[in-house]
Amino acid sequence: MRVRLLILIVMGTLVLAACGGGTTTTGDATGAASEAPDAAGDAASEDTGGGGGSGETVTIGSIHPLTGALALDGEQMDNAVQMAVEDLNGAGDLPVTLEVASADTQGEPELGQSEAQRLIDEGAIALVGAFQSAVTTNIATVAARQQVPLVIDVAVADAILSEENQYVYRIQPNATSMGEYGAQYLVDVAEAAGEEVATVGYMHEQTDFGTSVFDAFSAKAEELGIEVVESAAYDAFAQSDYTTEVQQVVAANPDVLVVTGYYNDGVAIAQNVADVQPDLKAVYGVANGAFDLPQFPGDAGDAAPYYFDSNYHFDATNDRVNDIRSRYEEEYGDQMRTSAVLSYQAVEVIAEALKGADDPTDPAALNEAIRGVEVADPLLTFPGPITFDETGENTNARPVVMQVLDEEIKQVYPQEFAEADPVFPAVPWSPPDQ
Amino acid sequence: MTQVPVSGRMPVPAARTVAVVVAVLAVIVWRMSTLTVTPTVIVQAVLTGLLAGAVYGLVAMGLTLIFGVLEIVNFAHGALLTLGMYLGFLLVDRFAMNPYATILIVVPALFVIGAALQAGVLNRAMGQPLENQLLLTFGVAILIENGLLLTFGATPRSVGVTFGAPLRVLGAVASFPRIIAFVAALVLAGALYWMLQRTKVGTAIRAVGQNARGAALVGIDARRIYVLTFAVGVSTVGAAAVLVLPFLRTEPTTGASFTIIAFVVVVLGGLGNVIGALVGGLAIGLIQQIGGVLLPGQDNLMAVFVVFLLTLFLRPQGLFGGRAT
Repeated sequence: MRVRLLILIVMGTLVLAACGGGTTTTGDATGAASEAPDAAGDAASEDTGGGGGSGETVTIGSIHPLTGALALDGEQMDNAVQMAVEDLNGAGDLPVTLEVASADTQGEPELGQSEAQRLIDEGAIALVGAFQSAVTTNIATVAARQQVPLVIDVAVADAILSEENQYVYRIQPNATSMGEYGAQYLVDVAEAAGEEVATVGYMHEQTDFGTSVFDAFSAKAEELGIEVVESAAYDAFAQSDYTTEVQQVVAANPDVLVVTGYYNDGVAIAQNVADVQPDLKAVYGVANGAFDLPQFPGDAGDAAPYYFDSNYHFDATNDRVNDIRSRYEEEYGDQMRTSAVLSYQAVEVIAEALKGADDPTDPAALNEAIRGVEVADPLLTFPGPITFDETGENTNARPVVMQVLDEEIKQVYPQEFAEADPVFPAVPWSPPDQ
Repeated sequence: MTQVPVSGRMPVPAARTVAVVVAVLAVIVWRMSTLTVTPTVIVQAVLTGLLAGAVYGLVAMGLTLIFGVLEIVNFAHGALLTLGMYLGFLLVDRFAMNPYATILIVVPALFVIGAALQAGVLNRAMGQPLENQLLLTFGVAILIENGLLLTFGATPRSVGVTFGAPLRVLGAVASFPRIIAFVAALVLAGALYWMLQRTKVGTAIRAVGQNARGAALVGIDARRIYVLTFAVGVSTVGAAAVLVLPFLRTEPTTGASFTIIAFVVVVLGGLGNVIGALVGGLAIGLIQQIGGVLLPGQDNLMAVFVVFLLTLFLRPQGLFGGRAT
């Protein structure tokens, strides 16, 4: 009896560990897929607004983690897709009427794959998703096989896109881009303040996301004359206290601490760093999922001021963006995060392509149109219109540097998107005397 | 049907175990000579590990009690922790209660919830194959987690407690909420142990754990004891929830990582051994942190799972369990 109990516990633990924390696919170890309600899709198609919609309706598949540990972003992104479809139908200058079909990946790659297949079987001519690189990789395979375009709103891994797969497009900067611009911007910000950054210590979450950004940053940093003196990888889902890792990294006396990770670990690290109070010029996030979120200053309190993040961001200096975000907040009750703005942008990309497509109801024709599309006035801090290269990457994708100033997130570099000047060097326990 | 004793015995380790421990220490010493690890980092690892470990221990004590007496594999343990945290959060948010004062409400509430679960759902599965109970508690876990998601949404919540400067020891730091959690966890563990060893109801629980039929023969109502034990096990998780509320963000999946670690702790400490669970928790906390220092670039849970496997191979009854019967 006891042996059986032990075996059950071991198996249960392994199941939990495999399907639970430690990978990008957090969530329950359940078998049953729970579908997101489809009612929203019907609502969107009823709202055709005034002006020349058309007789034909096409479906956009929205595929995100609506339950599980990443539901926070997934919910927002799905809402944003719905809102974009409503807005575009209301504007009335599309050759077809748009409709949304939503699916829940639960954060699991297998479910992502089967849900994508289901959406396509039910008539989706394009997909928007999926927030996690592992899940998006699987969906990209389905897209190529079924010849239905996938416009990625959020997923950072370089390898999802390739020249072989002609059906996948990405709007955001990829991992290499994040790492490289992160390093370059750090040097620029320091130089602008008349300071030098010779050494950095790097903490990153341990999966593909954190590791690939770290690798790209390190390579670029070496080119720029910065030495990564110590690094530490951590499991973002299995612990809540990173003080040991912080101590390890700052023991090598870096000028700047660089951090790549998700939200909860970012907040915890900020608090741990504030406890340790190492001698640093700055704490600098690269593609950090915490340091540029509006709720970060509230959650991290005294540990947050002056934290940088070089990350993708909606363009806070653009009035069209501010309008979309305030309407989102009115309708859904919370602040629209960049991930959701990217979902909105993905729908706009599809809509723009539909206008130029030979047959706006045919996925293959739509795919051709997306390949050559140019989307002006992007919602993110890009220096030019959204256009895709031969692998499907947005040629104008760039991150922007933000900083926590006066309990708010402000864009500080590059100049063309700056809302405020960067403050460097500065850390919460040793504010600059200005 | 062999019963697992709910006890605190500490037997002499076998020669095989000693050999493995020596080998592990040798590996540690070798790693330390090739890494640049400062004393501050070691002290920090020990400090962080102990502080986290006490909470692991408290959570595991409830779990091991449930195993020991009811032989139920409670996969809902972490989800119940999350439930406790949301309850605490609500009390702080709506009624401006002191986060630690919420223990007076959260622990009784979780006691009642645990009792209801056992009486209403799990009692019917007693005596059935273990897999039935496993699936039941698994189902409960999913229900709780998604119910919380539906009610509160996925936004992480904090209670925003500020404590000022942390404690500094040889360059290492320990924040006060974690120190409070450590001390309170030890006190509560002691209280639970005292209850089991010294009170009539505790003795009844241990009796049912050792031999349910025998206990019935001397007049103990086993089904009532099952309900009581499950309720006590769940209320330890309620206490742990209140203790971690000040320094963790609350979201529907917060408890999930505790479930995995609690299982490892329970096996390490010996199924049903309450003291073993506490010591095991402290040990796992230490292993997690020190393993992270010695094996940089690896998930620090790997060290925990290595220990888990070693325990299963060398001493499956756990560090403090009796000889396997």
